Amino acid sequence: MAVHVEATPRLGALWGNRRILRLLVSRDLKVKYSDSLLGYVWSILEPLMMAGVYWFVFTQLMDRQLGEAPYIVFLLAAMLPWQWANAVLRASMKALSKDAKLVRSTNLPREIWILRTVGSKFAEFVFALPVLALFALINRAELTKFVVFFPLAVLLQGVLLTGAGLILAPLATLYSDVERLMRIVLRLLFYFSPIIYGVSDVQSRLGGTVADLYVLNPLAGIFDLYRTAFFADEWAGWGAVGIAAGVSVTMLVVGIFTFRRLEGTVLKEI
Amino acid sequence: MSPVIEADGLGIAFKRNRRRNRRLRDLASGRAERAKRARRNQFWALRDVSFTVSEGEAVGLVGGNGQGKSTLLKLIAGVLLPDEGRLRVRGGVAPLIEVTGGFVGDLTARDNIWLTAGLHGLSKPEIAARFDEIVDFAEVGDFLDTPFRHFSSGMKVRLGFAVITTLDEPVVLVDEVLAVGDRAFREKCYKRMGDLLSGGRTLFLVSHNENDLRRFCTRGLYLRAGSLVTDGPVEDALERYREDTGRRRGPKSTE
Repeated sequence: MAVHVEATPRLGALWGNRRILRLLVSRDLKVKYSDSLLGYVWSILEPLMMAGVYWFVFTQLMDRQLGEAPYIVFLLAAMLPWQWANAVLRASMKALSKDAKLVRSTNLPREIWILRTVGSKFAEFVFALPVLALFALINRAELTKFVVFFPLAVLLQGVLLTGAGLILAPLATLYSDVERLMRIVLRLLFYFSPIIYGVSDVQSRLGGTVADLYVLNPLAGIFDLYRTAFFADEWAGWGAVGIAAGVSVTMLVVGIFTFRRLEGTVLKEI
Repeated sequence: MSPVIEADGLGIAFKRNRRRNRRLRDLASGRAERAKRARRNQFWALRDVSFTVSEGEAVGLVGGNGQGKSTLLKLIAGVLLPDEGRLRVRGGVAPLIEVTGGFVGDLTARDNIWLTAGLHGLSKPEIAARFDEIVDFAEVGDFLDTPFRHFSSGMKVRLGFAVITTLDEPVVLVDEVLAVGDRAFREKCYKRMGDLLSGGRTLFLVSHNENDLRRFCTRGLYLRAGSLVTDGPVEDALERYREDTGRRRGPKSTE
C-alpha cells in the first residue's frame, strides 16, 4: 500500500538540515547580489517604481482620498511585503523544476526547496527595508508603538507563504495551467490586498459585510499589521489579525499534506 | 550483521504516455476511482522486489536496459518514492546515479563541489579539508573556474565520482560510471572502490561489464522486467542473465 510518512520525523529532518537550508539561501543571495553589479538596485527597483507610479497618480494627478500621508511611506510599508509574497508565490511554482538536477540527486526532505524560496525572498525583503526607512526619514514619518508587531507580521506571512508554496510547487510541476492561472490570481490579489489603500478605507467606505469579507484575505490583516508601525490609525483590530493567523496556519497544514501526497508523483515527473 | 537496506515488496509505477494528462479532477476524485483510471495507463518499472543487504556487502545489479536497475538505485537513494511496499535504508546514501552527479551546468566546478558536498551534509571545514583531494582525484585542477557544462563527459564523470566517493555515507551507489572514464581513471576508480569496501561501506554497483561486477561484488541481483529474478552469488546472477539473453538472441534455439 501507499507509503506513509509521519509528520514529526519530517519536521525533525528539516531541522536537522537547517545548515543545508542556510547554504541554499546564501547561494541564492550570492547569485543575486554579488554576481551582478547592480544586484541590489535590481532587487529594490521594482517595488520602488511601482510605489513611485502610484504615488504620482494618486498624489500628483489626483487628490488622494485613500490611505494616509506621507503616502509614499504608506505605499512602501505594504509594497515591500507584497513584493516578498509575490516573489515567493511565483518562484515556488518553479522551486522543484528549476533545480531539478539537485532535487533528483539528493535525498533531502523536499520541503526544503520551498523553504529555501521563502527564505531567499525574505532576505531580499529585509534588504529592501532600508529604502522604507529612508523615505520615512525624508518625510518625517515616525514609528508608532505598533512597530513591536513587525515580527508577528513577518511570522504570519512566512507561515502563509510556506503553506501556499507547498501547495503551488507540486501542483505547478504537474499541471501546466497552474502557472497561467496564478498570473491572473496574483494580479487580482494585488488590488484586493491593502497596498494602494488601507483596510480602514474599506471599512469606512464599504463597511459591514463587505469589510468583514475583505479581511478573509490573510494579506489584509498582515499588511495592516506592518502598516500600523507608521500609521497607528490604520489598526484594524485583532479580528483581522486573528483571521490572518487562522488562514495562514490552515494554509500551512493543507500545504504540508498536499506536498506529501503529491511528492512521489512529482519526483517521477521532474 | 545488521541489515542496512531492507526492501519488502517494493514497487513503483510510471505513466505509460509521456504527456502529463493529469487533470485537477483527478485530485478531487476518490481513491478507488483514481486507482482504476490510473491502472489502465501505467506500467510497473519494479514490482514485488524484496531483499535485504547487510553492512559491508557489495551488490551488483544485473539486467538489460530498461529492466529497472536505475529505478531501484533511485529508490534506495530516496530520490524516488515507492508506490508499493516498504524500503528501509539505515544511514545515508552517497548516490552517483545520474552520470553527472546532479551537478549544475551553470556553476563552476568549484561551486559545484561546494554545493553538492554541502547538500550531502558535509560541513564547510569538512569540504575545505577534502577539496584538494577531490580536485586531484578528478584531475580538474586547471578548470576549477570553468562552468560545469563546458566540461567533457569524461571530466564530468571524474568530478562526480570524486565528490560522491568522498562523502562519509555508509551506502554508496554507483551507476554505470566506470564505462565512461579512460583506462587510467578506471584504475583509480577501482582502487577507490576497493578502499571503500575495505572501509566497511556497502556498495551497489550497476554495470554491463561482467569483470567489474565480478571484481567487486559478492552478491548479484538480476532484474528482468521489473522483477527480481535472481538474488544470489554474483556469478549465478550473471549466469542467469546470460541464459536469458542467449535464449533470446541465439540464432538456433533448441527449445
